[in-house]
Amino acid sequence: MSGVIKTVSLAVSVLLCVFLLSVPGASGGMAAEGRRVFVERGCGECHTTERPLRRPTFEEFLTEKGPPLWYAGSKFRKGWLKEWLTSPEPVRPMAYNSLKERNPDNHPALGSKEAEAVAEYLATLKVEGLKRGVVRPEKNVRGRIIFEKKLGCYGCHLVRKGRRIVGGLSGPSLVGAGRRLEPDWIYAFLKDKNLFVPYTSMPVYVGIITDREMRILSGYVASME
Amino acid sequence: MWLPWNRIIVALLLAFLFTIPASALRVKENYLFYCAPCHGLDGRGEGPNATPTQPVTPRNHRNPKEMEKLSDEDIINVIRFGGRATGISTLMPPYRNTLTEEEILELKDYLRELCQCSGPR
Ligand code: HEC
Ligand code: HEC
Ligand code: HEC
Repeated sequence: MSGVIKTVSLAVSVLLCVFLLSVPGASGGMAAEGRRVFVERGCGECHTTERPLRRPTFEEFLTEKGPPLWYAGSKFRKGWLKEWLTSPEPVRPMAYNSLKERNPDNHPALGSKEAEAVAEYLATLKVEGLKRGVVRPEKNVRGRIIFEKKLGCYGCHLVRKGRRIVGGLSGPSLVGAGRRLEPDWIYAFLKDKNLFVPYTSMPVYVGIITDREMRILSGYVASME
Repeated sequence: MWLPWNRIIVALLLAFLFTIPASALRVKENYLFYCAPCHGLDGRGEGPNATPTQPVTPRNHRNPKEMEKLSDEDIINVIRFGGRATGISTLMPPYRNTLTEEEILELKDYLRELCQCSGPR
């Protein structure tokens, strides 16, 4: 008899533990709060937070008003998100999907509490199956040679060169990319851009450099200040 | 006599649209999307990436003096393999894995229209 009681009480306490652990903790509650702020502030008018079910047509794509955020948790460093949401400095020198207009520099800003919650929420939006721990940030000479000499990536991206900021304006600035982007996401993006953006004017480099070079290049970008 | 004019007009418009080859629309779209960031929407080499900090300026595709030096083969190769292929700056990217061979050939024809020129014989 006492054996049965022991088993039952053990089972009950195990269940209780599982239940307690599954109750959203402090960060879960914060993410839910962030989600509420996101909806309330109308962020969804310009940003997607769910993976699209089908590829939009080119015309539909051109009407999109802001970058997708459904993989924000894999793309951005959490610290950067929080900081940027409180004081959103332009990342893309040009207005979204425009070759004519400059970035109007008018992104809505959040107070620090709201920004923290929204950053917590965005950090939960992860891409399934994205390999982690493949790329390490590294200021390597080989990466720099690929970036500057072999492929001329600065043709469309701003970068820091000594004290100056040089490069083109059609792509997002890579100044401070190390603080902004997750190294593994950079590699995943270079490997398959269309997983993240349905159309992009950035050329496909798969097959132009080797996979190893691509990892080295990603590590280099991930070290940019 | 009563005729369904609105339908006739629509039918004529459609017939007209179908006489424009699909590739003519596509090649311009490709040029504006892929090449204009550097070579400019009008092809004069003044896209947003042609900043004063860049080491070279993108080719002016409307300048026959510059463009007639290039053979059709040169143009196709530089689009396929980038600046490295023709010994110019690597700021000119390789498009062989971005665009299809057909799209690259169409772009070559489009560049010839922009410059109103042909290559050396
Ligand atoms: C009117 C459209 C619009 C609204 C509303 C809007 N955004 Fe944005 N958002 C943009 C654009 C455009 C960019 C790109 C800005 C840049 O590159 O400087 C952007 C960038 C971002 C980024 C960085 C993404 C990246 O890839 O660089 C985040 C994070 C973000 N927005 C979150 C939010 C949040 C949170 C809200 C609600 C408080 C919001 N946005 C509301 C248009 C919008
Ligand atoms: C022809 C212009 C062009 C060239 C050349 C180019 N890029 Fe890009 N790149 C872009 C554009 C445009 C985007 C933005 C993606 C999008 O939404 O279309 C981008 C996005 C990126 C991103 C993601 C940034 C973000 O915040 O979303 C990285 C990282 C990147 N490029 C790295 C590179 C590297 C490394 C090279 C050289 C191998 C390179 N790019 C060459 C145009 C270019
Ligand atoms: C990242 C900027 C960039 C993009 C995008 C770009 N180009 Fe270029 N292109 C250049 C630059 C810079 C030069 C001149 C290089 C030099 O003079 O050393 C050039 C030169 C050329 C030339 C002249 C080649 C020669 O040997 O003189 C052709 C043809 C050309 N580009 C076609 C294209 C086409 C077609 C596209 C779109 C599919 C395109 N380019 C996209 C930057 C670019």
